[in-house]
Amino acid sequence: MAYTEHNTAKGRQKAEPTHLCLARRQFLIMGAASVVSLGVVGPRNAMGQVAELVMGAWPRKVVGTVAELESAKAIEFSYPNDDITNLLFMLGEEAGGGVGPDRNIVAFNSQCPHQGAYLDGSLFHSKHSLLGPCPLHLSTFDLTKYGMVASGHATASLPQITLELDGDDIVATGVMGLVYGYSQNPTS
Amino acid sequence: MTTPYDNPDVDVVPLPPVDAEKITTACDYCIVACGYLAYRWPVGRQGGPAADQNALGIDFPTGAPLTAWVSPNQHNIVDHEGRPHHVIIIPDPDTPVVNVDGNHSIRGGTLAQKLYNPTTPTRERLREPMIRVVDTLTPVSWDVVTDVMAEVSKYVLEKHGVHAWGMKTYSYEFFENTYAISKLVHNSIGTPIYAPHDKPQAAEDTPGLDDAGINAFSASYDDWGMTDVAFCSGVDPYETKTVLFTSWMMYGDNPDKKMIMVTPHRTMGVQYALENGGLWLPVIPGSDTALHLAISKIILQNNWQDQEFIDKWIANRWEVNSGYGRGTRNTRWQWRTTWGRYQSDWEDYQKFIMEEPAADLAKAAEITGLKPELIEQAAEMIAKPKEDGTRVKTSFMLEKGNYWSNNYMNTASLASLGLVCGAGNRPGQVISRGGGHQRGWMGSGPKRVYLSPEKHPGRRKKSVNVDRWVMDGNVRFMWVMGTVWFPAMLASQELGSRVHDLVKESKHQPRSVDRDHLIEVYKKRVDEGGMVLVNSDIYPVDPLNTQIADIVLPAAAWGEEDRSRCNAERRLRLYSKIADAPGDAKSDWWAIAQFAQKMGFEGFEWENSADIFEEAARFSRTGVLSYYALHKKAQEEGKRSHDKLRELGTTGIQTPIRMIDGELVGTKRLHDPDNDWGEIEGAVADQKWLYSFGTHSGKALLLRTPWENNAWSDFYEAIKPRAEKDEVWITNGRVNETWQSGFDDRRKPYLAKRWPWPYIFIHPEDAEPRGIESGDLVEGYNDTVYIQSGRPVGVQSDDLSFTKLKEDGHITTTEGSFVAVAIVSDEMRPGVTMANFNYPGSQANSVCHAVPDPVSGNYRYKLGRGVIRRVGESPYKNNFDEMSLKPRPVPMVATDDATPWDFDSVIQRKG
Repeated sequence: MAYTEHNTAKGRQKAEPTHLCLARRQFLIMGAASVVSLGVVGPRNAMGQVAELVMGAWPRKVVGTVAELESAKAIEFSYPNDDITNLLFMLGEEAGGGVGPDRNIVAFNSQCPHQGAYLDGSLFHSKHSLLGPCPLHLSTFDLTKYGMVASGHATASLPQITLELDGDDIVATGVMGLVYGYSQNPTS
Repeated sequence: MTTPYDNPDVDVVPLPPVDAEKITTACDYCIVACGYLAYRWPVGRQGGPAADQNALGIDFPTGAPLTAWVSPNQHNIVDHEGRPHHVIIIPDPDTPVVNVDGNHSIRGGTLAQKLYNPTTPTRERLREPMIRVVDTLTPVSWDVVTDVMAEVSKYVLEKHGVHAWGMKTYSYEFFENTYAISKLVHNSIGTPIYAPHDKPQAAEDTPGLDDAGINAFSASYDDWGMTDVAFCSGVDPYETKTVLFTSWMMYGDNPDKKMIMVTPHRTMGVQYALENGGLWLPVIPGSDTALHLAISKIILQNNWQDQEFIDKWIANRWEVNSGYGRGTRNTRWQWRTTWGRYQSDWEDYQKFIMEEPAADLAKAAEITGLKPELIEQAAEMIAKPKEDGTRVKTSFMLEKGNYWSNNYMNTASLASLGLVCGAGNRPGQVISRGGGHQRGWMGSGPKRVYLSPEKHPGRRKKSVNVDRWVMDGNVRFMWVMGTVWFPAMLASQELGSRVHDLVKESKHQPRSVDRDHLIEVYKKRVDEGGMVLVNSDIYPVDPLNTQIADIVLPAAAWGEEDRSRCNAERRLRLYSKIADAPGDAKSDWWAIAQFAQKMGFEGFEWENSADIFEEAARFSRTGVLSYYALHKKAQEEGKRSHDKLRELGTTGIQTPIRMIDGELVGTKRLHDPDNDWGEIEGAVADQKWLYSFGTHSGKALLLRTPWENNAWSDFYEAIKPRAEKDEVWITNGRVNETWQSGFDDRRKPYLAKRWPWPYIFIHPEDAEPRGIESGDLVEGYNDTVYIQSGRPVGVQSDDLSFTKLKEDGHITTTEGSFVAVAIVSDEMRPGVTMANFNYPGSQANSVCHAVPDPVSGNYRYKLGRGVIRRVGESPYKNNFDEMSLKPRPVPMVATDDATPWDFDSVIQRKG
C-alpha cells in the first residue's frame, strides 16, 4: 500500500507520545455488577436500565476543592479507578451538570470518544468553554452542554463525571456515558 | 434533561458473541464511503469482554487509542428475517484503504442508529404505499397504487405527450436503482423531462473541467495524501468529506503539506490549514474566477509555470481545432466550443491573461475582497520553484463553493490554473472534485436531450430545466424519488408553492381509494391543467409528501438490500443487506419494475438487485465506473457478480476495472501515462482518457475565462447585496455533523440534539448592529429573488444573458425567507453569512435566484442575499441539552487572550 503506518494517525501517535501519557493496564471487567446487568438486557430499550443499575455502584471520591480551582486551568484526576483520567474545570458560565454557587464546576473524561486520544488541559478554551481540538482528528466538545460534540467525529458525547459539593470538597459521584475503550464502565 | 430526542447516556454496550455474523459494507453518506463492518446476532445472548469471548477478537477495555471500540451509538436492535437481532456497525479497524486505522465521521460512526427500530425515531419510516384522500394519506396496496400510476401515465403519454411526464430522482442511490430509473425514463418512456436531485436539468457538474479534458473524479486519496500543496476551492473537506481530510490531508504520505482554503467561512479545516503553514482566502462569494486569473498572471509574470508539463500536455492550436467543432455541431459542448469563445492554446492563453483586466492584481483584489499580498502568497505557494529548481507538487480540489456560484467560469479558470502548475495527471498533482454524494449513477443509454424544448444559442441542444417546466404547468404526471426537491433547488418557496397549486388547488381530488375512481379523478385533473404527483422516499418530507404528493411510496434504504456503488476515488464496494426493510417498503427498482410492467414495457422482470447489477454491467463498460470485467470474471467462476464483489469486502476495487492475465486490476488514477496498462483484454474498452486527457488529442485544453462576459457579469451585478437595503450575502453550506437534509440525522437522537434546527453563521460586525446574539432566531429575507421563466430559446449569442432574458420577459421576481438559529462568530467573513443548505422547514435556498448559468444550465446555489433580522430567542439559547452554539473552529492550543480574527490583515472591505 502507498500509505505507511508512520503517515497515518496511528503512526503520528507513536511519534508523538505526549498524548499517550498513560501506560494502561489491561483488565477484564466481568464483575458482579456486569453479571446482573447482562441479565436484564432486553431486546430494545434496556440500555438505560442497565446504566441506572450500574450507576448505583459508583464510588464517591473527593477530586478537588473549590478553593484550588482557577478559571482557564484544568485539574487532572482519576476516577472511578486509577486507569481513567478526567479533567476538572471551573467555567466562566453556567453549565449542564455544573455544581457550585454559579453551577459552573464540571468534570469530564479526558479521552476523546472518537478514537481515544487524550485531551489535556492545554486544549481547554475557557473563553468558549470548549475542550479540543483533539490532536488526532480535531473534535471539540462543548463543556456547557454535557460534553456535546461542538465540531467533529465522536459518536458519543465526552463522558461527564457527575459531581457534588461537600463543603469545599468536590466529590465525584458517577460517570455519564461509556468511557472510550470499555464495553462497560468499571465502577471501581 | 428530557427532549423529544432524548438520548440517555449509557455506560454499557453489548458485544457480539464469537459466532456473530460478520457483514461488510460501506458508509451510506458522504462520497468518501468509509469501509464498515456489521456484526449481527440474535437477541438473548452476548459476547464477553475477553478476546476469545467476542467476534471482534479483542480484549475490553481496549486500551490504547486507535484500537477498535464499540460506542453505544454503534449498536441497535433490528429485525433480520423477521426476528430481532443485535447489530453493531463499526468502522473496519483493519481496512488498508480509505478510512485507515478505523477512522470515521460522526455521520458514518452512527450508521447503526439509522436502521429501523420502532422504539427510536426511525419509527417515522414510510412503511406502506399511501394515497392522499381528502387531505389524509391513506394506506393502499402496491397493486392498486401501481395500477393507478400506470393507467394515468398511459393516458398522459397518449393525450399530452412525453413532455407531460416527468421524473426527478437521486443520481446516487446505488447502480441497481439508478439503472432502473434510466431504463424507464430514457428508454421506455423516452421523455426529456428528467433532472437529478442536485440540478434543475440533466447536465454535467463541472463543465470547465470536462472541456479541459479532466475527469472530475480522476484522483485517488493517495494523491491528496502525497501532495505538497492543496488548493481547495470552495470546499473544506473536513466538513463534508471528513475522512478525506482527517486521514489523507492531515496525514498521508506527506503530513506536512500546506493547504490553501478558498472560502468565506473559517471552518475547523481552515483553522488547521492556517496553523500548518497554509493560507485562508476568504473571498467574496462568486469571485473565484478573478482570483484564479490573478494567480495565473502572477505565475506567468514570474515564469513559475511548469513549462515542461505545458510543452508535453497542453494542446497546441492545431490540436485544439482538430478536436472541436466536428460532427453535428448540435451539442452543448459544441456550442461552448464552436465559436472559439473559450478554447485556447499556450500562446493564446498567455496573451489572454496578460490583457485580461480582472487578472490585474489590484482589480482582482477589489473583486475578491482580498488583500493583494494574500493573492501573491497563494501564487508563490502553489507554483514558485524551490531554490534547487524543483517544483512543489500542487493539487487542486473543487466543490460547491466553486462550481455552484459561477459554474462554467470558476471550473474552467481553475482547470487552467491547475494545468499551468503542472497538475492533472500525476501522483500528488491532480485536479479533482472532492465530491458530494457517492458515485451511484448507472445509465442505460443516452438521454432524450434532443426532445428538449430549450436551446443554446444557435438552437443547439440544451437539457430542459425541469423546475421551470413544471412551474409553467407543462407536466401532468411527475414522479419524484428520494429527493426533497424544493429546499434543494432555488427560489424554493416559489417552486413549492407552485407545485402545491398544480396538485392541491385542482378541484379533482379523490374521495376514496377505489381504483377506478382514482384513475378517473386524476385523468380529469390532468386534462384541466393539473398535475398528479408521486413521491418515493424513506421518510416524511415536508412539504413534498406530507402536504402535497398524491401518492407516497415507501422505499427500502441502505442496509436493507445488497447494492453497489463507487466513492470519489472510483472505489466499488458491495453495500450488504443488514436488516429487513420496515413494513411493505420496497426498493425503488422494484417499484419501477411493477409500474413498468403494468405500462407494458419489456425488460423489467428482475427478481432481485443482483439481476440488475449484472444486466447493467455492460452499460458501464465505456465509462469511468466500469465493472464489466468483474462481471465477466464472476461469470467465469460461476458466481453472481454481487457475490464476487462481496469477496472484495471493504477494500473493493477502483474502477474502471481491467482484466490483466485473467486477474482483476483496479485503476488508481485517470489520465496518468505512467500507469502500466499492459495489454488490455476484451472485457474493457480501451479509452484514451485512461492514460491521457479526455480530449480529441489526449492533451489538455487551456480555457479563456474573461471576468466580464454575457453569461455572468450582468447577473452578478444584479444579485449582489444592496447596501441601501442593508443586505448581506446569505450563502449556504453544510457542517460535519449533519448529512444532507438530515433525513437520518434528525432521527438519530445523538445527532438530532447537536443540530435540532438549522444555523446561520454571522460575523459579530453584522450581528451586533442588528441586535442579534448566538441562539437568537433570525430571519433571512430577500425581497427580490429572480426566477427565469418561460422557454427561452437561444438563437443569437447573447440571447440567454441575464440582460436579454430580462428584456424578453423571461425574468420574474418573487420574495423568499427562512428562519434559522444564529451562531455569532468571527469564523465568517464580515458581510457574508452562511445558512444551512437544503433543510426542510428552513429553506435557505429561498433567498437564492433560480436563474441558471446559461453556459451550462446549472444553478448558482451559493449566491443568496438578503436582510437578516432578529425574530426572537430560540429554545436553544438558554438550555443545556440541545444545539451547541459555540464557535466550531478554535486554535489547536488554547490561549488566554483569544482575540477576534484580524480580518483587516487579509481582506479589503470595499469590493
